[in-house]
Amino acid sequence: MPKSQFIDPKEVRKAGKVQFKDIPVNQYKKTVKEEKSNFSKEELIGIYHDMALIREFETMINVIKIRGEYEGIEYNHPGPAHLSIGQESAAVGMAYHLDVDDFIFGSHRSHGEILAKGMSAINKLDDAGLKDIMENFFEGSTLNIVKGGHIGDLKSLARKFLVYGTLAEVFARETGFNKGLGGSMHAFFTPFGVYPNNAIVGGSGDIAVGAALYKKVNQKKGIVVANIGDASMACGPVWEGLSFATMDQFEQLWEGAHKGGLPIIFNIMNNQYGMGGQTCGETMGYDVAARIGAGVNRDSMHAERVDGYNPLAVIDAYKRKMDLLKEKKGPVLLDVLTYRYSGHSPSDASSYRSKEEVEAWEAQDCIIAYGKELISAGVASQDELDAIKSDITELMKYSMTLAIDEKVSPRMDLVKNPEIIGDMMFSEGSVDKMEDRPVDVNHPMEENLRVKQIAKKERFAFDKDGKPFSKLKQYQLRDGLFEAIADRFYKDPTLVAYGEENRDWGGAFAVYRGLTEALPYHRLFNSPIAEASIIGTAIGYAMCGGRVIPEIMYCDFLGRCGDEVFNQLPKWQAMSGNVIKMPVVIRVSVGSKYGAQHSQDWSSLVAHIPGLKVCFPATPYDAKGLMNTALQGTDPVVFFESQRIYDIGEQFHTEGVPAEYYEIPFGEADIKKEGTDITILSIGATVYRALEAAEELEEKYGMSAEVIDARSIVPFNYETVVASLKKTGRILLTSDASERGSFLKDMAQRITELAFDELDAPPVVVGSRNWITPAYELEEYFFPCKEWMIDAIHEKIVPLKDHVVKNNFTNAEIIRRSKLGI
Amino acid sequence: MATVVIMPRQGQSVESCIFTEWFKQVGDEVKKGDMLFAYETDKASFEEEAAEDGVLLGVFCDEGDEVPVLQNIGVIGQPGESIDEFKSGGASEPTAEVQAETEVAEEATTSAEVIEVKTQEAGDDVKISPRAKKLAIAEAVPYETLVGTGPEGRVIERDVQAYIASKPKLTPLAKEVAKQEGLQVVEQGSGLGGTVKAADLSASNPVYAEDYEIKKLPNIRKLIAKAMHASLQNSAQLTHHLGADARRILDLRKQIKAKEGAANITLNDMVCFAVIKALQKFPDANAHFLGDSVKYFNKVHLGLAVDTDRGLMVPVIKNADDLSISGLSRQFKEVAESCRQGSIDPELLSSESASFTVSNLGNYGVEMFTPVINLPQVAILGVNTIVPRPADLGGGVYGFVPYMGLSLTYDHQALDGGMATRFLKQIAVELENLEIDI
Repeated sequence: MPKSQFIDPKEVRKAGKVQFKDIPVNQYKKTVKEEKSNFSKEELIGIYHDMALIREFETMINVIKIRGEYEGIEYNHPGPAHLSIGQESAAVGMAYHLDVDDFIFGSHRSHGEILAKGMSAINKLDDAGLKDIMENFFEGSTLNIVKGGHIGDLKSLARKFLVYGTLAEVFARETGFNKGLGGSMHAFFTPFGVYPNNAIVGGSGDIAVGAALYKKVNQKKGIVVANIGDASMACGPVWEGLSFATMDQFEQLWEGAHKGGLPIIFNIMNNQYGMGGQTCGETMGYDVAARIGAGVNRDSMHAERVDGYNPLAVIDAYKRKMDLLKEKKGPVLLDVLTYRYSGHSPSDASSYRSKEEVEAWEAQDCIIAYGKELISAGVASQDELDAIKSDITELMKYSMTLAIDEKVSPRMDLVKNPEIIGDMMFSEGSVDKMEDRPVDVNHPMEENLRVKQIAKKERFAFDKDGKPFSKLKQYQLRDGLFEAIADRFYKDPTLVAYGEENRDWGGAFAVYRGLTEALPYHRLFNSPIAEASIIGTAIGYAMCGGRVIPEIMYCDFLGRCGDEVFNQLPKWQAMSGNVIKMPVVIRVSVGSKYGAQHSQDWSSLVAHIPGLKVCFPATPYDAKGLMNTALQGTDPVVFFESQRIYDIGEQFHTEGVPAEYYEIPFGEADIKKEGTDITILSIGATVYRALEAAEELEEKYGMSAEVIDARSIVPFNYETVVASLKKTGRILLTSDASERGSFLKDMAQRITELAFDELDAPPVVVGSRNWITPAYELEEYFFPCKEWMIDAIHEKIVPLKDHVVKNNFTNAEIIRRSKLGI
Repeated sequence: MATVVIMPRQGQSVESCIFTEWFKQVGDEVKKGDMLFAYETDKASFEEEAAEDGVLLGVFCDEGDEVPVLQNIGVIGQPGESIDEFKSGGASEPTAEVQAETEVAEEATTSAEVIEVKTQEAGDDVKISPRAKKLAIAEAVPYETLVGTGPEGRVIERDVQAYIASKPKLTPLAKEVAKQEGLQVVEQGSGLGGTVKAADLSASNPVYAEDYEIKKLPNIRKLIAKAMHASLQNSAQLTHHLGADARRILDLRKQIKAKEGAANITLNDMVCFAVIKALQKFPDANAHFLGDSVKYFNKVHLGLAVDTDRGLMVPVIKNADDLSISGLSRQFKEVAESCRQGSIDPELLSSESASFTVSNLGNYGVEMFTPVINLPQVAILGVNTIVPRPADLGGGVYGFVPYMGLSLTYDHQALDGGMATRFLKQIAVELENLEIDI
């Protein structure tokens, strides 16, 4: 909460009532005849064409799924097919006014939106632009397939390109829009403004907000449409997306050109079912989905229900709403009423609805009804419409023939190139700035108070005599993070950072102190307490080309953004066929002292998910170097920090933490103390307790321990550890993560595999107990400490002379605990 | 309430015993009177019965552990009862004395550590870390014989390193050959500074690869070996042989056999009876030689060598001179039997307890031998078989007379030849004129 906003008790305690604006429902009543003056004949017929194109595309897929052939061409498609037959007018109406720079995000049922937005973009692009896109997409490999023998103009070639590219993607062909790695539910084509479609219900509900944020922060042209289903309105991340998108600060705190609402339309494709659950009458209570707008902000999100069975009604709504967005009055909520005749998927027997209901909607079919209107308005004759339809059928046959031809449209050759998917998991870029333009900052870096303060600090913790400087004099770990992040803010104009308490507070742990003064609101701001939206928007922001640091204040809150961290962030680089980059650095702070829901180290959870880089530095030098590397890269990084050591000084890098920029490569562990008799490999802040153990081992038992700090865990180069093991033959692994399923176990297994013959004892893991984290006063019984490490060494690795164990590391105890699941 | 099983106390002087075997496994049901475990002192082996009904809940020692007497070694009770309170150290800590010895040894040599080796028995799993195994193979170390010091007795790298340090260096060739052919490394090589060369490796017979078997000595055997060796090293022993006319004792024996209900007095009993009589006349032989003094016994404490499965034992009959021959005979039978049973009081096996010893090999047909003195006793009588010898029967008549061979080994430090001879002769005289009630 900024000081500039005074909460006046007299005001807020006053009696009154909240009034809502009316939410219009299906107000559009015009006919084609009435609209004739606003559209050209081509435009009106084009609307028909696009709807018919979608209908035939999905009919083709449907009959392939059901009968194994289309128009006599046999094919078996084992993959998914979530069809939107019946909803074509909603998709075409949505896309009609959108420009190429306007981005749409969708769901698993988005074939129609891809084709509608694709056709819309093709119509709006000039030939040069169109040619440029097609020729440069995957070096023209998709274009080359449809180019041969093409007769006609570039736009009709582009139409073939669009249909073929989408279909090849549905069939998982390498020539598809995403090299076949996205498939039916995730196909997209960013050059036409079609951004990722998401197979997680409501998945686009927060990601699309990030795209709008990108447009706003970076002053980019265009709006964003989040196509989400009526059932997704129940999803937490969608609500979080709505909350994030409607924050008052856009209007009240952001300044200049950045002031005003986000340019986004939440477009509810309301087909009235969530799988088989009826959203009105059964699974939701909103009755009219547009009602939700009233609960979100003062403008009720300019919500409106639109008759999605009439393309002109949707087109009308978009025209009005896009004007609102241009006036920075967004965001907007549209409830586009529609209906799908097709099942949720081909396995859907429609047992949840009556035949009569489906027939009643079919009787009002959007394409037939619109066609009739065209004829009655004298825009087109039945013959013309028939010709369009048969042309589309030919296009489908043509595209299908190509897309199922193994020679023309092969799948990825994992025999010839077994690592081709592996190579796509990370983009491995090294990019100073995501865009080359001046940065928005409030003052030069050297004028910053924090920068000046840090300049006076001791960048190595000890003086010449080895005596530590006072804590306040020491350059701390949080200073290392600050330097790396501030440096990037002054380099990369797209960089933004946000999360809970990131601005005026300076970050809950004072990493950002000083940045509030240096940066305008649109680069550093407080988010709602809504982790799904914090990460989800960051994903959308990065997809569009920005660099972002979202913050999760406590590691324990990662569960609140589980889908975003586990399903979205790690996947989109590879699922896009490496079209999309994901320069997102999630700062995650691992707590202590605060009990069971604020003290957990969940680095193991994210390390398990392919597609994320994970690091956990424990010294100022490592923190700065790794943060620089994370921010220079183009891959998603989960950057763990420990609240135990934000104030720790640099104890290892004797030259002190360099003031200059430097990078520490991911994956390279660091030997914090050399030794010969045993290796202790540690993750995170536990390294300091490992060093205490090493000291005691040396003093009391004459055992020289080598302490290795993993620093990062994905990626991880085992060579350092194996080299150490060659020397010592023994290894203990430790971190604050609960021991069961800890990443240390993975490391122990790898080490056993890689250096079995070097081992004089099994690798032993000392983690936290498999309990809740107890109160601070009881933490010594929960977190690893030097005593545990020494006892474990004595019990499992090498008996220590005259050592008396206090903790039970015997096999019998392991079995007992495992049996009980504790 | 669980009952603790302790290592029994065996005599005043026994500080600890070697535990040899549990007859029951942990978890087995135990009935009062069931044989529960076996153990040895330095003198004898024993078996102990369970004192309670119940289940053997836990044991705190293993075969070969040296356990102080009265220490807890196991618990009998009901399933589920805690045994924690009874736990003790199990095997005893090395005594101060032993430690002192080790320290002296460490000072004396630089290769301080004593490398314990064991005999690998077929089918034994060798617990060894991969690293130790790799090193052992590279250095041709017979790791199967090493006693591991790692967790759960695992052989770890330091055990192999210690073994390597304790052995002479091998030339690279010797190492290779030893590895390839599984040859044994000798203690001292013929190369520079004792380096073992390939030629020094002791080849095992390629046809009868292992034509021998090495067995660990039982404790009692070790003790006998030590005592016998010490005897020969620490005294001036020599043996006189003399024959005694056996007609009298054979005649007595015949009478005993003929008489129904008579005590079964054996020839050996008669010999011992005669020896007691002779000892009463020759106190110099009924004595202990203590180096600078001699301990003369007023009473005769007669030791009798007994052959048992466990090895040679010499139980003593205290105050044997107070006994009639039938009392003596009965007591001999009792102690011999308890030796064979392993239930003899260890006090009675001490060589300090006896003032003189008789060892009888006559039953086996031995005609002459040189028994070894049980120090600090000054002499021992060996009794041989009876053989007929030509003798002057008087009146120019010669005939065969049965003679019993007597072999007296004495410590020349304590006795002179004349005295010894007269004593031996006195035994013969006593035998030839033996009077007993039948």
